[in-house]
Amino acid sequence: MGAASPHRSRALLMALAIAAIVLAIDILLRKLVPDGSVRQLLMLTACNALVAVSLNVINGMAGQFSIGHAGFVGVGAYTAAIVASHLHARFGGGDPTLLRSFLVVPPALLAAAAIAGVAGLLLGLPSLRLRGDYLAIVTLGFAEIFRLTIASAPSGGAPGPLSISRLGGSNGYAGVDGQGVPLYAGPFWILGVAALGCVLAWRLKFSGWGRALRALREDEIAAASVGIDPTRYKVTSFVIAAIGGGVAGALLALMRDGAPVQQPDGFGFLLSFDAITMVILGGSGSVSGSILGAVFVTLSIKAIELAQSTSAVQALRGPHHWGPIELTLDLNALRMIVYAMIVVALMVMRPEGLLGERELFARRTPARGTT
Amino acid sequence: MKLELRGVSKSFGGLRAVADVSFTVPDRAIFGLIGPNGAGKTTVFNLITGVYKPDGGTLRFGDRDLARLSPTRIAAAGIGRTFQNVRLFGQLTVRENLLVACEMQKTAHLASALLRLDSHYADEVAMRVRADDLLARFDLTKSADAPATSLPYGSQRRLEIARALIPSPKLLLLDEPAAGMNSAEAIALAAQIRWLRDEFQLSVLLVEHNMRLVMDVCEELHVLDHGETIARGTPAAIREHPRVIAAYLGEEP
Repeated sequence: MGAASPHRSRALLMALAIAAIVLAIDILLRKLVPDGSVRQLLMLTACNALVAVSLNVINGMAGQFSIGHAGFVGVGAYTAAIVASHLHARFGGGDPTLLRSFLVVPPALLAAAAIAGVAGLLLGLPSLRLRGDYLAIVTLGFAEIFRLTIASAPSGGAPGPLSISRLGGSNGYAGVDGQGVPLYAGPFWILGVAALGCVLAWRLKFSGWGRALRALREDEIAAASVGIDPTRYKVTSFVIAAIGGGVAGALLALMRDGAPVQQPDGFGFLLSFDAITMVILGGSGSVSGSILGAVFVTLSIKAIELAQSTSAVQALRGPHHWGPIELTLDLNALRMIVYAMIVVALMVMRPEGLLGERELFARRTPARGTT
Repeated sequence: MKLELRGVSKSFGGLRAVADVSFTVPDRAIFGLIGPNGAGKTTVFNLITGVYKPDGGTLRFGDRDLARLSPTRIAAAGIGRTFQNVRLFGQLTVRENLLVACEMQKTAHLASALLRLDSHYADEVAMRVRADDLLARFDLTKSADAPATSLPYGSQRRLEIARALIPSPKLLLLDEPAAGMNSAEAIALAAQIRWLRDEFQLSVLLVEHNMRLVMDVCEELHVLDHGETIARGTPAAIREHPRVIAAYLGEEP
C-alpha cells in the first residue's frame, strides 16, 4: 500500500531522532546531572516503567492475574548479568565503554528475553488453560522457587561449570570471578529500550490483538464462537509480559550507576507487589497509566528512603518500649502497609484505577479503525 | 455443508440432558429444533459448537468430526451461532464487535501489528470494509461507534447475528431469536431468516419457542422432550403429532 509510505518514512525519522536524543543524553547526562543517585533514580524509573507496562499486558489487557512478575524480572536480570560478564571478560575487562556496549547489551537483552519468554510459555501453557486463579498461584510459586533456588545454593568450594553455586547463592552474583557485573547499560539503552517497550505495548493495545483481548475479557464463549482462541491469546499475552519483565530485569542488572551484584532477594514478592501496585494505581489496561504508576511508586519509594535517613526520622526511630512491646519506626516497612491499604481501597472504590483503560494523550480511542 | 448428528448423548451428573439424538440438517435447509423448556435444545447447540463434549455418538459437519474440535476450530470450520441470552462484547462498540469476529480471517501476524507494517494496515482496511458491509446490511451503520450495550434489544439481536456471519459460516445456529419479540416482530423475523439463508448461502438451525414462527419458517422439525426425540418431520405433520401435543399441552390423566 503506497498510502502508508509517507507515514512510514516519518516514523523512521522519528525513531532516528529519538535514538539521537537518547544517545546525546547518554553522553551528556553525567554533566547535566552530576548527582549519581539522581541519574540512578531516573534510570530506575524507566526500568520500573517497563516492569509495569509488561505486567499490564497480562494483568490489564488480558485480564489475568499474575502475582509473580518478579520471577521474570529476576530471570532476565541473572541471564543478562551472566551473558554480559562473560562477554566483558572475553573482551579483556576494563571499563565498560558506550562503544563496546553495542556488542554486549543486545546479546544480553536477547538472551534475557528468550529465557524469560520460554519460562513464560512453560508456566502459561498449563495454567492458562484452566480457569480462575491458577495463574496467580503458579506465578507466585515460580517467582519464589526461582529466588529460593538461587539463594539457597551453597556458596564457596569449587563449583562445576554449570553448578548453580556459580550464581553466588544469597551473596549474589558478581560476574566472572567475582569481579562485578559490568554495567554497560547507560541512559541510551535504558531510556531507549524502555521507550521502545512502551511503544510496542501501546501498539499491541491499539491493534486487532488488543481488541480481541478486550472481547475475551467480556465473554470468552462468545469470543470463541467467532474464532478467537482464548488459550492462544492468553498464553501469547503472558509470554509477551514475561519477555518484557525479563528485558526490564536485564536493564536493571546492567544499569550504569547501579550495583555490580545481583542478589536474589531483590526479586522477592515485594517487587511483584510493587509492580501490581503500579498497574492498579495507574489503571489496569492503560499503558500510560502503568507508566504513571511506575513513576509514582519509584519516586515515593525513593522519597521514603530519603525521609528515613533524615535526622528527624532517625530521632524518632527508637526502639521505643511500650510495655512488653518494642517498636521501631521503619518507614519502608510502613510503606508496604500504606500501599496495601491504597490498593485495597482502590479495588473497592475505583477498581479500574486512576485512568481505567483510558490513555493520556490518546486522540484515538480503541475503536480506531485505520487512518 | 451437511450437519449430521448420530446417537448423541450428554449427561450432567445424573441428569440425562440429551439422549441418543440423531438428525441431519441438509445444505441450505432451515431446520427447527423444538421442545418444551428443559428439553435439551440448547445443550444440543452447545454440543455442536464444542462448548460441551458429547458422552457418546458422533457429530459431523461435512467431513469434520466436531467432537474432536475446540469451539474456536468449530467456528473456523464454518459454524456460527447466536446465544439464548444475547452475548455481545458489551463494552466494545458495535463496529468493534464485528471487527473482533474478523480477527480469524487476518493474514498478517502479530509482529506486523507491532511493527505497523503495510500488511497490518491492509488487514485493518479489509476488516473495516467487511464490518461496515455487514453493518449496512443489518441497518446498524448509524450506531457503529456506540457501545454495544447501548443498543435497543432488537438491534442487539441483529448485531449478534451480524457478528456470527462475519466469518462466513456455512451453518448458522440461532438460539431463540424471537425471545422478547412481540408477534409482529416475530412474523417479520420469519422473512429475515429466509433472507439470511439466501443472502449468505447457509443452512439455519433454529431453536425457538414461538410456534408460529417455527411452523412458518422451518422446512423440517425435530422435537425433543427431556433430552429424547419424540417426533420429526414437516411442520404440518408435527402439528398433528399426538406426542408433541401431549408434551406441549400436558397429557390427559
